[in-house]
Amino acid sequence: MPRTMFSKAAILGRLTRRTLLALVLAIVVWSFGSVLVRWAGTYQRRQGKIVLTILHWGSPAEVRIEKILIGAFEKRHPSVRVVDINVNGDYTSKLKTMFSAGEPPDLFYLSYDDFRRMVGDHLLLDIQPYIRAQRRAGRFQWLRDFYPVPLNAYRCNGRVVGRGDLYGLPKDFSTMVMYVNLNLFHEAHISVPYRGWTWRQYQRDMKKISALKPTPTGRIYGGVLNTWPATLQNILWTYGGHFFQNGNYRRVALDSPAAQRALQMIYRTRFIDKSVFNATGIAKHGSEEFFTGHIGCIGPQGRWTTPPYRAIHSFQWDVVPLPHEKRTVSSIATVAWCIAAHTPHPRHAFALLKFLCGPGGQAMAARLGLAIPTLRSVAHSPAFLTPGRRPRHTQLFLDAIKNAPLPYTPPHHGEFNLIMEEQISDALQLGEKSTQSAAQKVARQWKRFLASPLEKPTFPAMPWRKISWIAAATLMVLAITGWLLTRREKIGVLERRQARAGWLFISPWLIGFLALTLGPMVLSLLLSLTRWTAIEPLRHARYVGLLNYQHALVHDSNFTQSLWVTFYYVMLLAPLSQILALAIALLMDARLPGIRLFRTAYFLPSVVSGVALATLWLAIFNTKYGLLNHLLKPLAHLLHTTPPDWFGLDAGRWAVPGFVIMALWGVGGGMIIYLAGLKGIPPTLYESARIDGAGAGRRLWHITLPMLSPLIFYNVVMAIIGSFQVFTQAQVMTNGGPHNDTLFYVLYLYQQAFETYHMGYASALAWILFAIVLTLTLLIFRASRNWVYYEGLKT
Amino acid sequence: MSSGGISLGESPRRAGGAPDPPRRMNPIPARIRLWFGRYSTGQTLAFYVLLALGAVVFLLPFAFMLSGSLKSEQAEQAGSLSLIPRHIHWGNYPAALARIHFGVTLANTLFVTTWAVLGQIISSSLVGFGFARFRFRGRNLIFILMLSTMMLPGQVTMIPVFLLFRSLGWVNTYLPLIIPAWLASPFFVFMFRQFFAQIPEELVEAARLDGASNWNIYWRLMLPLSGPVIAITAIYSFLWTWNDYLNPLIYINSPNKYTLALALANFNGQYGVRHPQYLMAASCITMLPCLILFFAAQKYFVESIAMTGLKG
Repeated sequence: MPRTMFSKAAILGRLTRRTLLALVLAIVVWSFGSVLVRWAGTYQRRQGKIVLTILHWGSPAEVRIEKILIGAFEKRHPSVRVVDINVNGDYTSKLKTMFSAGEPPDLFYLSYDDFRRMVGDHLLLDIQPYIRAQRRAGRFQWLRDFYPVPLNAYRCNGRVVGRGDLYGLPKDFSTMVMYVNLNLFHEAHISVPYRGWTWRQYQRDMKKISALKPTPTGRIYGGVLNTWPATLQNILWTYGGHFFQNGNYRRVALDSPAAQRALQMIYRTRFIDKSVFNATGIAKHGSEEFFTGHIGCIGPQGRWTTPPYRAIHSFQWDVVPLPHEKRTVSSIATVAWCIAAHTPHPRHAFALLKFLCGPGGQAMAARLGLAIPTLRSVAHSPAFLTPGRRPRHTQLFLDAIKNAPLPYTPPHHGEFNLIMEEQISDALQLGEKSTQSAAQKVARQWKRFLASPLEKPTFPAMPWRKISWIAAATLMVLAITGWLLTRREKIGVLERRQARAGWLFISPWLIGFLALTLGPMVLSLLLSLTRWTAIEPLRHARYVGLLNYQHALVHDSNFTQSLWVTFYYVMLLAPLSQILALAIALLMDARLPGIRLFRTAYFLPSVVSGVALATLWLAIFNTKYGLLNHLLKPLAHLLHTTPPDWFGLDAGRWAVPGFVIMALWGVGGGMIIYLAGLKGIPPTLYESARIDGAGAGRRLWHITLPMLSPLIFYNVVMAIIGSFQVFTQAQVMTNGGPHNDTLFYVLYLYQQAFETYHMGYASALAWILFAIVLTLTLLIFRASRNWVYYEGLKT
Repeated sequence: MSSGGISLGESPRRAGGAPDPPRRMNPIPARIRLWFGRYSTGQTLAFYVLLALGAVVFLLPFAFMLSGSLKSEQAEQAGSLSLIPRHIHWGNYPAALARIHFGVTLANTLFVTTWAVLGQIISSSLVGFGFARFRFRGRNLIFILMLSTMMLPGQVTMIPVFLLFRSLGWVNTYLPLIIPAWLASPFFVFMFRQFFAQIPEELVEAARLDGASNWNIYWRLMLPLSGPVIAITAIYSFLWTWNDYLNPLIYINSPNKYTLALALANFNGQYGVRHPQYLMAASCITMLPCLILFFAAQKYFVESIAMTGLKG
């Protein structure tokens, strides 16, 4: 019996619904207006002007400086409009995505360790001719004012980095120092080693500080040792060790005595003395820990933590040089402004480049203090040395320059770092492996990577012309066959008209299928046979046959790792989620008062997804303030352990289960499907079973499960397909780390395609994924004959 | 609640002449009937406790997020887990919204989402109509082909589709996020087809005799009847587009074109570790439309299952 249309409740309900609808409409209209007005504004501002796009990162304070500089530049060059894109988070991948999209920014920040690859791929503009022209005109004298080391890091003569033409101007750089908590040093009666110290002294001092009485908020650590690849390399250098033998990137030298001494020193402080905080986790480095006041000394670290540390008021701090063993040496990190090789406005881009690196801008940035100015006169001016502001020994940053060699980035350094981080951190962060065996493992894996047949330099060009002929011919044949078939059909006019209308109505999907599915599938299969980076035109693709597949299956340890991570995830999630969904659905099937509320509660989480889901769970998994570990603490206490450091120390064991827990939160989606299925089971079945004396368990086993089996089958297949494609959570939460423990397959594929532009290889990865998913689905189909009971569908 | 609340088996109100499936009569008094039989009071109580515990587990993350978004930074960093913050900091919300440029990103997201939802409804219903109401050679084969594309991992086509859109000059525009939605998704086509197929042939015949063209039958007869399917399509395509991250990540470059998901991810990379309270506030706001939509359209979520014909 429907409610009367004029009851009060009905009118009220309709009214609220109308108001809500009007509200939603208003917001939508506003959003359209906002977007369109912005478009119009941009169009107007850019009309008739030269538009330069620049890409950079930076804190709000840096962005402000950038804005001031751009404003000044635009005033001086009224014909130029600068569009400035500030990217935080994953800058490098954004830059690379823009390049592979064929729309690179004209001007962009480039970190020294990406320079080699970019210049090797001919993506950077050689600015030497412009400099020469300027100098000939007697301008740009201040080029000589640049510190030579960071400047030379952006030179290349076609073979080696460090010599030859300039491809960018470094905007700033940093040497490495250690930041010390003066209060803790004084408390431990240690003199602050402003004039240098050895690693032996370092270890002794760390032990002393870590022996200090713990505070109510936690224990005191002597220090934090940063061991990401660049700083680890620095520590190795101080011991006279290197990553590679004699600068030959093919031969890893981590097992040399000098390198081993350095690695063992790190191991000792972390696992034997336990005087150094073992910083792992989502934050990846411990620079945040310094704020707590529990850390005596942190480093090797650059200038960039100075501004945030200036906000510390609970203790005094300063900087000291890096400890040394054989030699005193500091690595440098630097960032330059570079110009895209194919910018349409190279002259204007160069003018902007010069302006942005000029003394004025550098002085402003120097006051901010995030890095050392690359102009010597600015670095030695009060703008940088900032008398009266912390750290008092800023001069030490400059002193370290004379011990700074040119940064060296080997070919494939990204791949090398991935391999090394994984193995070395097994030894240095988890303590699960000796440093010697970790070193050998790195060497082995690196050798296997380099032995890949893809490393051979020359391959024939992909015969695109032939392929397009074949494709065209196939299409022709298909079209003609289709036409002949329709001709031969003896059907009436009406039917023919019907058929034509049918085709017309399904044409949106047909177009989508041809353009976005079938065509791309063929192309992707072809691409998987090539070596091609998206930055070159397609005709430069090289035909490599099945080598991409061979490389993945035999030579690429990251591929194996990502496959393993994903399999683990799928095998854990698929059964767990189905059992849980089914169990909840069985509970929800009860006809009890108030069950609807519970149903809402269980289903609600499943509408949350994407980035918001990831950020929420990032907080829940946080070891410091997260929900989960708070709840687990009593339980862990009972078992005499501590709750896991999900994406940190215990990532090897717990990171994937962590992702599974997160996914299980959204189990309501599957639950609702099972619930619908349960409602569809005729009650008479249960009745007769009960009359026959079947208990609850037997009814579940002999009626419910068989009747639901088609649903279970469908859900399992969809769950497997879906969980193979985890991407957003992994990218946002851990981005594959720590140590590749969360390098999910699709994430790796994305990195290969859009960060290292290995489009051919990524296509091969996609097809391997497809093959795996297809095989699994077919296997389940095959097995389903034994357990899926299709009567359930027919009732 | 003598009839036991909403029952998923009940068919929703259907407009027009769609046949109502016969309602199943429940032979057992409904009061406390579990799927496995009758239970005593104590057992019912235990059952409620179990349900409540589960509900708490499922709702706790929301409470955590909400309370986290209202705490001061000190309280957050100190790691106190009181779900009710001592001092409520409403100021976190404006601060977080400013950091994700909420006005701009919200407008962008709504713009994209609206177009995508519209496109999805129109194209999927058209295609569904085509499959349901016309006979042509290979129709069933094509239909099965379409359904099987649902199993294709999107990564297989991702790169070439990217190359296609790049060559069309669509990078850093919203077209790559909108146009695919105008080309129909199998999932929704399937639902529309199932729905259209069960509309009685007499109705269509009658319209045809009155001189209605195919387009008129679609536009005047079929679409007005298919309210529930339209709602389901709207809801799901809204959720997909709203939460989509990979496509904006690949195609959108300029920050003033960011969608909420992108802005939130970017914000997380920038401030996530330092200011968890802002991150929680921003996550809250991003989720909110999805949650509102859920409460506003709860019955359609349930109905969508019935539509796919998945129930027994």
